[in-house]
Amino acid sequence: MQFVLRRLGFYLVAFWVSVTLNFLLPRFMPGDPISRMMSQSQGRMTPEQVVQMQALFGLDDRPILQQYIGYWQSIFTGEMGVSISRFPSPVSEVIASQIGWTILLGATALLIAVVIGNLLGILAAWRRGGALDSILPPFLVFIGSFPYFWLAMGALYLFGVILGWFPLRHAFSAGATPSFSPEFIGDVAMHLVMPVTTIVLVSIGGWMLAMRNTMITTTSEDYVVMAEAKGLTANRIMLRYAARNATLPAVTNFGMAIGFVVGGALLTEVVFAYPGLGFQLLSAVTALDYPLMQGIFLTITGAVLVANFIVDIVYVRLDPRVRVS
Amino acid sequence: MAHRRFKTKARALAALAVAGGLALAGCAGGTTGSAELDGTQLLTIPREDKSTFSANFNPFSPNAMPMTQQAIYEPMFVYNPADGSTIPWLATDWVSSEDGMGVTFTLRDGVQWSDGEPMTAEDVAFSFELQKELLGGFEYLESVTADGAEVTFTYNTPFSPGLFEIGEQVIIPKHIWEGIADPANETNPKPVGSGPYTEVTNLQAQSYSLLRNPNYWQPDKQKIEGIQMLAFAGNDPANLATINGETDWADQFIPDIENAFVAKDPENREFWFPSVDAMIHLQLNTTKAPFDDADARRAISMAIDREAVTSVAMQGYTHPADCTGLSDSYDTWRSAEVVESCEWTTRDVAGANALLDEAGYPLGADGERTLPDGSPFEFDISVGSASSDWLSVANIISQNLAEIGVTATVNAPDWAVVVAGYEDGSFDSGIVWSNNAPTPFQYFRGVMSTETVVPVGEQTFQNYHRFGLPAADELLARFAASGDEAEQEAVMDQLQEVYAENAPIVPLFPGPRWGSYNTTRFTGFPNEDNPYAPLSTRSTTTVLVLTTLEPVVSE
Repeated sequence: MQFVLRRLGFYLVAFWVSVTLNFLLPRFMPGDPISRMMSQSQGRMTPEQVVQMQALFGLDDRPILQQYIGYWQSIFTGEMGVSISRFPSPVSEVIASQIGWTILLGATALLIAVVIGNLLGILAAWRRGGALDSILPPFLVFIGSFPYFWLAMGALYLFGVILGWFPLRHAFSAGATPSFSPEFIGDVAMHLVMPVTTIVLVSIGGWMLAMRNTMITTTSEDYVVMAEAKGLTANRIMLRYAARNATLPAVTNFGMAIGFVVGGALLTEVVFAYPGLGFQLLSAVTALDYPLMQGIFLTITGAVLVANFIVDIVYVRLDPRVRVS
Repeated sequence: MAHRRFKTKARALAALAVAGGLALAGCAGGTTGSAELDGTQLLTIPREDKSTFSANFNPFSPNAMPMTQQAIYEPMFVYNPADGSTIPWLATDWVSSEDGMGVTFTLRDGVQWSDGEPMTAEDVAFSFELQKELLGGFEYLESVTADGAEVTFTYNTPFSPGLFEIGEQVIIPKHIWEGIADPANETNPKPVGSGPYTEVTNLQAQSYSLLRNPNYWQPDKQKIEGIQMLAFAGNDPANLATINGETDWADQFIPDIENAFVAKDPENREFWFPSVDAMIHLQLNTTKAPFDDADARRAISMAIDREAVTSVAMQGYTHPADCTGLSDSYDTWRSAEVVESCEWTTRDVAGANALLDEAGYPLGADGERTLPDGSPFEFDISVGSASSDWLSVANIISQNLAEIGVTATVNAPDWAVVVAGYEDGSFDSGIVWSNNAPTPFQYFRGVMSTETVVPVGEQTFQNYHRFGLPAADELLARFAASGDEAEQEAVMDQLQEVYAENAPIVPLFPGPRWGSYNTTRFTGFPNEDNPYAPLSTRSTTTVLVLTTLEPVVSE
C-alpha cells in the first residue's frame, strides 16, 4: 500500500511537470494562428477576412500566468475549449472522433509486435546458435532500420496498386456505415492489414532482440538447470520457468509503448490515409492551434502516465522480489 | 519428443491463423470493381487539406467542412472568372446606383430552404446582419432593407466593387439562425440551406456524403445523386486515389499531370488549368534602398526570363505576365494600349544593364554592381520551402539577376516565417500572391494605394511592399464612386497606365487554378472549350459545375 502511494505521488509530480511543459513549449513558437492561416491560404483569403478571423476566434491575449491557471481549470472541468484550426468544433469532439481508430491501429500493431516478437525471442534464445537465432534477429533489425515511410509506400505500391490484394486507403470502404456486423469487421480488418503489417515489421526486431537477451541470462540461472535435472519437458521449462522471468523487462517496455499508442502513427496515417490523431497533432502544431495541441498533448501525457502507473502495480504482482524490498 | 510435439503444435497454430485470416477476408465482401453504372453513383471528390472530417457546417467558419459554402448554401449571383460573366443565382436581377452608393437586388421567386420554408428578402437582410456581427467586414454597408422581393443595400461611402462582395455572400435562413444563442460557435451538424446538396449522410472521420435537397429551386439541375467527400492527409495519398481512378473530380496539385494522370486513360481523363488565380509577383520592399527607385525595379524586372520561369518552374502550366499586372480573370479589363506600349516585363538584359548604369548603380570590375552609397547591390529573395515550384522560380530569378551584376540569394525557411517577415516589412524581396476579387479594384488597391501602406514593424495582410501613390488613390476613389460601366473601364485603363509607369511590384505570371476530372462516371465538366466555370471544388463557381454534371448510365 505504501508502495502504491509513493508511486502515485511520483506520478502526480510527473503529471504536473509534463502539463506545464505542454503549456509552455507551443508558446515558444513564433507567430500566431491567424498569420499561419493566411500563409497557408496564399492569397485565397482576403486581408479583410484575416482581420475578421481575429474577431471570430476570440484569441486569448490574457497574460501567460492567467492562461496557465485557466489551462489547469480546464483540465479539471474537462472543457478543453474550441479548436482554432477546426473552428468551431470543440477540442473534445475532434479528439473523440479519431481516438477510436488511433487506438485500434496502434494497439493492434503493438499487440502483434509484442506477442510475436517475444515468442520469437524466446525461441531464439532457447535454441541459441540455431537456425532461428542466427538468421532472424539480424534480418528483422535490418528490416526495421528501413525508413518507415519507404517501407509503407513500397508495401502500398506492391500489394495495393500492383497486386491489388489489399485496399489502398482509409479504415473501411468509403460509404459503409460502421456497425458490428461480420462484413464491417471483415472490411476493417482488410483495411488494417497493410498499416499494421508495416508497423509490426519495423518494430518487431526490437522486441525480439530485447527478449532474446533477457532470456539468455535467465536460461543460465541455476533453477533452470534444476528443472531440467528434475526431468521436466523442455517446453515447460522454456515457457513456464525461463520465459516468465524474462518477460519482466518486456512488461515495462510494453507499458511505455501502450501509452504512446494514443499519440497516433503519423506516417501510417499519411501514407494509408488512415484517420488518426498523429496527423491531427501535426496539423494542429503547424496551425499553432493551442487548444487542440494542449488537448492532444494532455491525452498523450495522461495515457502514458496512467499506463506506467498500472504497469508499476502489475510489476509488483508479477515479481515478488519487488514486493519484499 | 518435445521437439516434434512443439512442431505439430506450431503447425496447428499457423493453420488456424491462416484459416482465420481467410475467413475475415471472405467476410469483407467482394469489392465492387467495374460495377454497372445505374446513375445513382455519387460524385467522389478528394480533400487533401482536411485529414479527417467532423460535423462542422458553420458557414461563417473558415474551417467548415468542404461543400458547406458550395453545395449547401448559395449566394445571390456567381461570378465566373474564366469568362468574366456573372450568373444570376438566388437573385434574378440587380441594379447599382449611379453614384456607387448602393445596389438593389431582386430575389428569385419560389426558392425554398431544404426544410420547406420559403426564402425571403428577410433572410438576405438577416444574413448580412449576422455576418457583420460575427465577422465584421462590409464597413461601407450602412443598411440593408427588405421590401417584398427586393433587397436594397445602402452604403455610407461610395464603393461600387461592393456589388461583388455582396452578391457572392452566402445567404442563410433567418428562421434557423435567429434562434441560435451562439452562432459563432455553432457547429451546425444538420444544416438547412438553399443549395442543391444539403442532406448530410453517413458522416465518418474519413468521408461523408451530401444527398439531394428535396426542395431545391432547380430540380432539373440535380441530375447527380449526391457528392461523396474523401479525406486525405496530404497531396500524395489524394493523388494516388485520383490517379487510380477512384475519384471523379479533383483540384489538388498533381505533378506531371499528363504522364501521371491523363496517360492512364486519355479518353476519359482531362485537366484544365486556366490562369485565373491571383497574379504571382516578385515583390521588392520599397522601404529599403534601392527598391524605392522605380528604375531599379524596372531593371530587375527586365532581367527576369519569364519564359523560363513559366516553362521550367511552372511546368508550362501558365504564361508570363504583362505590364498591367492583371491576371487572366481580368481579361475584360485589360488595356491593350498598355500591353503594347510597355516593355519592362519583356526580357532584355542589355536594356536592364543600360538602365542600371544610367540610374547610378555602377558595375564594378568584379562584375558586381554597387548602390550609389557604395554598398553592394545584393538582397535576399524569400520564399516558403514547402512550395517547390515557387522555389524553382526564385532560383531562376536569382540566376537571371546575376547577369546584370545583382546578387540575389534565395532564402527558403518555413512559410510561417516568410509570411511573418512580409507582414512586418522586414523582408528584402519575396515571391508573393496578390488580391484576386472579381474586379481589379482590390488588386490595384493592394499594390499601390496609400490606404494600404503601414509602417515597417506594424502587421499588415496586404501591400507587404508598402508602396502608395496619391494618383492611384484618386483613381481608385473615382472607380468606387462610379456605377457606370463605361466610366469604370476608363478609370481602370488609367490605373493600368499608372501601374505600368511606376512598376510598384514585379508581376511574374498569373496563378493557374488547378483542376482535373474523369468522365468515366460523370460528364459535363467545364474545360477550355466550354469555360462555364473553373474546375475548383472550393470556390463560389463550384455550384455551377454541380448543377451541370450528369451521371453516366451504362447500357
